[in-house]
Amino acid sequence: MKLAVFVSDFRNTVDTLDRLKPEKLGVILVGNGVYHAVIKENGAPSPVLKTSADFYALAEDLETRGINTANVKNNVKVISYGDIVDLIFNDYEKTAWL
Amino acid sequence: MGKLTIGCFSSLVGSMSLDFAVKLAAAAIDKGHKVDFWVSGNGTMLSIKDQRSFKDYSSLEKPLKELMAKGLNVTACEACAEARGYHKDITMEGFKRHSMDWYLASTFSADRVLHIGGE
Amino acid sequence: MATTKLGFIVQRPPYKSENPKLALTHAIASQSVEVYLNDGDIVTAEVAFIGDGVLNCLKDQKATEHYDISSTESHIKMSLLVDVKVFVCKEDLAKFGLTENDIVMDAEEFGADMTVSVVPFQEINKMMEDVNHLLFF
Repeated sequence: MKLAVFVSDFRNTVDTLDRLKPEKLGVILVGNGVYHAVIKENGAPSPVLKTSADFYALAEDLETRGINTANVKNNVKVISYGDIVDLIFNDYEKTAWL
Repeated sequence: MGKLTIGCFSSLVGSMSLDFAVKLAAAAIDKGHKVDFWVSGNGTMLSIKDQRSFKDYSSLEKPLKELMAKGLNVTACEACAEARGYHKDITMEGFKRHSMDWYLASTFSADRVLHIGGE
Repeated sequence: MATTKLGFIVQRPPYKSENPKLALTHAIASQSVEVYLNDGDIVTAEVAFIGDGVLNCLKDQKATEHYDISSTESHIKMSLLVDVKVFVCKEDLAKFGLTENDIVMDAEEFGADMTVSVVPFQEINKMMEDVNHLLFF
């Protein structure tokens, strides 16, 4: 299974993420989920980013929250709505909104 | 080109998940995909016509009408709408109302389904 | 003739959120979906309760008595009656100190043959692999 998981909250999604075992996992950070791409807590990056996955963050939602897209972690790709459409049609078979 | 079915159960005001869903639908239609859009639960708030637009609240009637003109197929859960007093006479023109099996039927022919749960 | 399989994953407790009930009512709607499809085409639904969502399955819910609304328990029983497969995560039940004795396991009083399956999360992962589309609630 190639699964694209949408993370739209800043809290309480790591447990479920950890338990999903798809062959290929993409994590698309949207809404308040984009904080995972930049915010450190006590100096440590979000545990979400420790998941074995490809990471994406929605540019509009970063900018909406006052986050410069240049400041996201290196392993997170900043994308547009059009990119999300291409990802879910071309790179993944199923989606899950956590 | 494919078919995307989006289900969104979040309210129009308060979560911005419907804003996300409508913007994603727009991006998919712009790329030539067919999009079915189902709202249930608090998401049925989207179906009410003539909502007054304030900058402090999400307002999606205008972009939704533009997308419907481009072929967006949008349907509300009739029971969820009626339970909230959203009757047919205040439903946006072109916004369909059906029972929940409509959503499941839409997934039958969908290449991709994005289900966005509610609050 | 074709079948589309849907996996409904419920991960929130009941009542505070409408999500769990909507998951069940939408899953039950798989029984009437044929009216929109060609002869022989069907959509099937399987429901899995995981994480805090397993709390939906506690038996003896008295939502009707206290709030005059149908209980999540009754919707689980109705799901079994219409042959929707219902899974409950074994590890998550154990995490809360719950056993099969604490949750809805069947709907015998309605004449349902289907029973709830308490399974390791690994089995739920397999279900998620097997279905065509996932719907997280």
